[in-house]
Amino acid sequence: MQRTRKPGISRRATLALMGTGAVTFATPWVARAQAKTIKVGMPTILSGRVAQLGTSSRNAVMLEVEKVNAAGGLAGRQIEMVIRDSKGAPQEAARVARELVNTDGCELLIDAEASSGAFAVHEVARDLGVFCIHTNSETSALTADPKQHIPNAFRTARQGVHDSIVGGSYAAAIAKTKGLKKWATCAPDYAYGRDTTGEFTLYLKRFAPDVEIISESWPKLFQPDYTEVVTKILQAKPQALYTCLWGGDLTSYIDQANIYAMFSQMEVFAVNMADYTALTVVKNLPKGIHSGNRYIKTYPATAENAAWGDAYKAKYNEYPTNWSWENATAVMLIAEASKKANSADGKKIAEAMRGLTIKSPFGADGTVTMRAEDQTLIGYAIGWGTTIPQEPYVPDVKPGDWKTILELEAEWKKSKGYA
Amino acid sequence: MTELRAGRTGEPLGIARDEARSQRPRYLDVLIGLAAFGVLAVLPLFFGSKALLDFVIRCSAFGLFATSLNLLVGYTGMISFGHGMFFGLGAYGFGLIMQRTGVPVPVAFVATLVITTIIATVIGAICVRLKEIYFAFVTLAFQMLIHSTILSWASLTGGDQGLRGGIPRPVFLGIDLSNHVHLYVTSCALLVIGLLLMRQIAQSPFGYTLRMIRDNANRASFIGIDVWRARLTIFVLAALFASTGGIVMALFVSGAYPEFAYWTISGEGIFINMLGGVTTFLGPMVGTVLLLILNDTVTRLTEYYGIVLGIVILFFAIGLRKGLMDFVVEWYGQRRDGAGERG
Repeated sequence: MQRTRKPGISRRATLALMGTGAVTFATPWVARAQAKTIKVGMPTILSGRVAQLGTSSRNAVMLEVEKVNAAGGLAGRQIEMVIRDSKGAPQEAARVARELVNTDGCELLIDAEASSGAFAVHEVARDLGVFCIHTNSETSALTADPKQHIPNAFRTARQGVHDSIVGGSYAAAIAKTKGLKKWATCAPDYAYGRDTTGEFTLYLKRFAPDVEIISESWPKLFQPDYTEVVTKILQAKPQALYTCLWGGDLTSYIDQANIYAMFSQMEVFAVNMADYTALTVVKNLPKGIHSGNRYIKTYPATAENAAWGDAYKAKYNEYPTNWSWENATAVMLIAEASKKANSADGKKIAEAMRGLTIKSPFGADGTVTMRAEDQTLIGYAIGWGTTIPQEPYVPDVKPGDWKTILELEAEWKKSKGYA
Repeated sequence: MTELRAGRTGEPLGIARDEARSQRPRYLDVLIGLAAFGVLAVLPLFFGSKALLDFVIRCSAFGLFATSLNLLVGYTGMISFGHGMFFGLGAYGFGLIMQRTGVPVPVAFVATLVITTIIATVIGAICVRLKEIYFAFVTLAFQMLIHSTILSWASLTGGDQGLRGGIPRPVFLGIDLSNHVHLYVTSCALLVIGLLLMRQIAQSPFGYTLRMIRDNANRASFIGIDVWRARLTIFVLAALFASTGGIVMALFVSGAYPEFAYWTISGEGIFINMLGGVTTFLGPMVGTVLLLILNDTVTRLTEYYGIVLGIVILFFAIGLRKGLMDFVVEWYGQRRDGAGERG
C-alpha cells in the first residue's frame, strides 16, 4: 500500500499546536487592567505537608472579603482575590508575588507565606514598593529588626517573643506554686523551635530563677516516630515538660506519649496545643495540658468571637485555625484603613494603617492595634489555660498582660540590638 | 537511569553527526550565542512585561544549573543527585559576601566561584572515584551535609529563615543590578557566556574524552587517560556553572534560602534533563524553559501542581522514553531521511 504521508504529527497540526501553545502562554503576560475591581494578591502554601496553612488562611480571607464587598468594597472598588500556591519554596514565593503584582495587576499583597517564604516576599515588597501585609510569619525579626523595616510592609501574625513572654510568666507562676524545678524541653529542630524554646526558658528562668533544664530533645520537623524522644524524657524524670511542637507533629507526639502515660508523670506545657488543628485530631486528649491559645472560639469569651468561629465552621465545615484569625485580621485592617483614607491606594492605606486601632473579635480587649513604630500587630488575645478532652477543650484561659508584654518586648529588642 | 544516558546506546549516527558539527568553524557557536544575546537584550524594548523578564532571569539561573548538570549526566555519565549543593553554595556565597563585606559585585562573583572551586574539589575528590549508584548517593549525602550545615549554622546563614535583609548591589561599571532591566541583561549575558563556555568544553578534545569515559571508562584508562582527574575536572567545572546559576537566583530573589541547597533542587535539575533530553547540548535549556512554563501556567490554573507534573513526567518517561530535544532531533532526522528516500 502506498503511503501518502509519513506517520507522526503533520505540519499543520504542529503549527496549530504551536499557535495554541503560544496563545496559552502569552495570555498571562498581557496585563489586564480593570479599574473597577481592586485585585489583592495572596501567595501561600496550598500543597504539601502544611497545605492547611494555606487553605485555612484562604478560607478566612474569603469570609472577610465577602463582608467587605457586600459593604461596598475598598473605597467603592470590589475586592478580587488572586490566591496562588508557592509550594512552600521561597524562590517560588518570590516569583508568585512578583507575578501577582507585575502580571495580574494586584495592587495589594496579603502574604500568607510561612517562614523563609515570608522573607522572600518581603524582599519583593521592598523591591516593588507594593503594599504588603504578612499574615503567617511569627518570626519576631521580620518586624523587630530595623534592617527589615520598610514603610509598605505590615504584619498581623502573632509574634514569637510575645508568646514566650506570656508562656514564660504563666509557667513560672505554676512552677512556683507546684514546686516544679526540673524541666525538660522538646522542640522541632529548626529556627522556630530553637528560638521559641530559647525565649521561653529565658522568661521562665527570669520569673522562676531556681528552674533548671535537665533534658533537651530536638526531634526533626515532621518526624513520624517520637519513641526515642519520649523515653529519653521519661528517663530524665523531669517535673515539667515544655514543647513547641505543632500541628501533626504535636498530635503524633501526644498519641505516642500517651502509650507511656507521660502526661500523668509530669506537667506538660505545649504552647501550640490550643488550636483546633491539634485539639480535634488527638485521639485521647489528656486532661490538664497547659497550652497557649492559638485560635479558640471561647477565648476571648465574647459573643463576637464565638459568632466568628461559628460562621467559619458553618461555611467550611471545620473550625478556624490560628492562621485563620491572623488572615481575617489583615482584611479587617485593610478595610478600615481604606475607609479612613477614603482610598484603595496602597500608599494611602499604609499611611492610614500605621497606629490604627480597630474593633476585632480577636482582641484582648475587643480591639487590636497596628503598632506604628514597627508595623506589627499588638493587643490580640493571648493567654494560657489547661485542656479538657471535649469541647470547649480549654475552658479557662488566663489572659496575658499586654503592659508586661510590651515592657519585656522593649527590653528584649534592646538586648538584641534592635532598638 | 539508563534512559538518562540515552546517548550511550546511541546511535553511531548521533556521534557521527556530533563529529561533523565539531568540524564546523568554532566561531559559529559564538555567532549564534551573540545573536541569541542580541535578541534577548532587545526584548524589553518591545515587551513591557516585567513577568517576561522575570521568566528569562529564572531561565538563566536554572538553565545554567541544568546544562552544567548535563555535562556530568549526559557527557560523562555521572548521575549526580547532589548538584543542587553548588547552586545553593553560589547563592549563599554571593549573598553572604555582599552582605558582610560590601565588596564590588564582580569581586564577590569571583570570590564565590573560588569558594565553589575549593569545596567542589574536596567533595569531588571523594565522590568521583565511585561508580553509578554509589556516586549518586554520596553526592546526595554531601548535599544533605551542606543543607544541614546551612540550617544549623544560624549565626552565619540565618538558619531556615535564609539570608534576610536583602542583598546589597552597589553599582559597578555603570551596571545597577537593583534595576530590573540591568539585572535582566546581566543574567542573559551570564547565561549566554556560560552556555558558550560549556559548549566549548563539550566540543573540545577534553569533551570527547568525557564521552569516552562515559562509554567505557576502562578502555579510556587503558589508552592512558587519567579517568579520575578528568572526572574531577568536569565535576569542578560543572559546579562552577551551577554556582553561577545560584548567584543569578540570589540576585533575583535578593536573598538565599536553604531550599536552594536542598535535594529537591537537584531533583529538579535531573527532571529538567529528562524533560529536555541529554543527547543534545541545548536539551537542558529547552527542558528549563518547558519546566518553568509548565510550573508557571499550572500553578496559575490549579493548586494540584504535583499531579500535573507527575503526569508529564510519566508521559516523557514512559511515552516518549526520551527528552523533547532528543525526540525532535530524531524526528527531524527521520523526516529528512524519509525525504531523501522519496527524492
